[in-house]
Amino acid sequence: MVETEPPGFGSTQDRPPGATSDEGAAQMLQLTDIRRDYRIGPVTTEILRGVDLAVGAGDLMSIMGPSGSGKTTLMNIIGLLDRPTSGRYVLDGRDVSKLADDDLAMLRNAHIGFVFQSFQLLPRLTAVENVSLPLVYRGTNRAEMRRRALAALERVGMGERTGHRPDQLSGGQKQRVAIARALVGEPAVVLADEPTGALDGATAREVMALLASLNAEHKVTILIITHDPGVARQCARQVRIHEGTLVERTAGAPGASGAAAARHPASGTEETEEDPGASSAPPAIDPNPAREPTSRRDDTGEILNPAAPT
Amino acid sequence: MTPGPRAMSRAFTILAANTREAADSLRRARLRTVLGLVGIMIGISSVITMVSLGEIVKAQARKEFEALGTDILVVRKSFEVSSPEQRAAVVEREDAVALAPEVASIAEAAPRISGHGAFRHAGREVGHGAIQGVTESFVSVNRLSVRTGRFISDLDINRTWCVVGADIAAAMREAGTDQPVGTLIEAEEQLLTVVGVLEPHQESYALPVQVEANNAVFVPITTAARIVNNPEIDVIVARSRAGVHHETVAADVRAFFQARAPHLPLDVVTAKELIARMESQMRLLTLLLAAVGSIALIVGGIGIMNIMLVSVAERRREIAIRRALGARQRDIRSQFLIESVILTMTGGVLGVLLGLVATWTVCRFTQWEFLISGLSVASGLGTATAVGLFFGFQPAHQASRLDPIVGLQGE
Repeated sequence: MVETEPPGFGSTQDRPPGATSDEGAAQMLQLTDIRRDYRIGPVTTEILRGVDLAVGAGDLMSIMGPSGSGKTTLMNIIGLLDRPTSGRYVLDGRDVSKLADDDLAMLRNAHIGFVFQSFQLLPRLTAVENVSLPLVYRGTNRAEMRRRALAALERVGMGERTGHRPDQLSGGQKQRVAIARALVGEPAVVLADEPTGALDGATAREVMALLASLNAEHKVTILIITHDPGVARQCARQVRIHEGTLVERTAGAPGASGAAAARHPASGTEETEEDPGASSAPPAIDPNPAREPTSRRDDTGEILNPAAPT
Repeated sequence: MTPGPRAMSRAFTILAANTREAADSLRRARLRTVLGLVGIMIGISSVITMVSLGEIVKAQARKEFEALGTDILVVRKSFEVSSPEQRAAVVEREDAVALAPEVASIAEAAPRISGHGAFRHAGREVGHGAIQGVTESFVSVNRLSVRTGRFISDLDINRTWCVVGADIAAAMREAGTDQPVGTLIEAEEQLLTVVGVLEPHQESYALPVQVEANNAVFVPITTAARIVNNPEIDVIVARSRAGVHHETVAADVRAFFQARAPHLPLDVVTAKELIARMESQMRLLTLLLAAVGSIALIVGGIGIMNIMLVSVAERRREIAIRRALGARQRDIRSQFLIESVILTMTGGVLGVLLGLVATWTVCRFTQWEFLISGLSVASGLGTATAVGLFFGFQPAHQASRLDPIVGLQGE
């Protein structure tokens, strides 16, 4: 499934010159002119006004914006919890913008790993049971489910506390369990919504470091939605959302494409949330500043994939 | 999207997980669970009692008439008389005796004259009971059996010979007579010679007429006509021929007496009619239990629905998380449906036990033979499941329609 070449997209997508077709095709998700309106009575409120976004396999990307900017709505759409009013959303080679509810549930299960600000663990279940949950809805047998859940907990450094319930865990530990749950199904993309929002500074740094290392070492594609510039800066790619539109501002991503950035050791292993990791890196092929404020749907590939314009 | 076996295994995993979840959630909401269970329990126990009693009565009737034979019928003068002619009319002995030979559908007929009194032997009282004037056919029609000696014969006209029942024979033995046959017994101031002793007889209460053979002294009908106070034929017990419909037999008997004794008001009761009567009485009881049962089940079901609605409302966040992680609407629906079915099934199992206890108690009082019918247990558990599905559907549906976005925000 993951290897499938996105039909209809491979051709329109400009690729970095040196990339093999395999890498170039690995565009995990591609949003084109996504709009989302809410209609309350006669009043229509536009939350998303034409969002274009491409996330490559192995990207570590942040979407930053103040509350009310539409980032939650965007995340719900990317996470297949909500459907756009119009626009095209291709996830792992499949157009998912018009699917039925059940299909979306199956796709969420297979392709999306959620990490929430408030952890959203089921209080009655132990860590390992919480982590197993996505596999339940996939029909994995119990032994395999347990094996994979334990492996996922091991990966996030929670191998010692698998039998604990959420109320026996600290905030940071809960978020690690939640990350393990997001990873257990080997999703195409991990969507983290304010993953450090409920954590204190030190713990927040640990969690960010974990996400970064997962991205660097295991090539997990991670999309972090945040309002915290410190968090955003640790991501190789950064976009801002403002009044329903996206603005790419990858200041210091070392690689051109997300995939390249992820492979670069420096971007994945940054230890501080401060400048050095991000801004001291050599400026990449920068997004055209002239276009920045109006970065809209016109030339999808070019703007959203920084590698393209060269 | 998913191939068959994969989808099956998925469905199974989800079902197993849902079942564990549901059981766990019910364990935690104990008080609510208990309240819901009580209603279901009462309802199901009514269903069980209803069905089991129906079965038991049917089995009881079958057993009674197996001993008695479904070809038996009882003919006697009706107690409902509306004119002096009718009051005066009696069943004549000649007519009674002619019944079997003249009515083709009657195989055997045994008329009886009976009186009451004390029996004396060897200077002491050996019993108190019926002195019954009978014909030779009485023994076979009533399925009596002779232990020693012989029964009354049709050749014993006016003879002062008698056959005694088992209890009277036992009393005579106690009085010192080891072999009652050949000795004398006094009844109605008449000395009778004992020519036979009967085996103990299991009385059937299904018929409107009791033979009370164990406490009776049987004499030839001609003898009884002389010595008994009221020498009228009180009853004719008869057997119909095989293969004749019971209504035909009854009609034939009525026609026979209509021709011979036009003023005689007649009661003809066949075994089949008695069974039908028994069943209609049962139906009334069944109806009553059904009414109680369905009211309890509706009340219990609404209770279950309430429990489930609260459970859904309390677990909106859990539902949203599950949905986000890939549960489809039907997975959520089945989780809550399983929960409500587990609830009602638990009530069902308890109700089955309670119902069986109630049935057993009824059987103790009515002396019916208690039996556990598979049908009653199956219908109890089936009803419980149906109630769980029916009343659990709305809450489960509501849970499945919850918007995960809303559920994740709420807290």
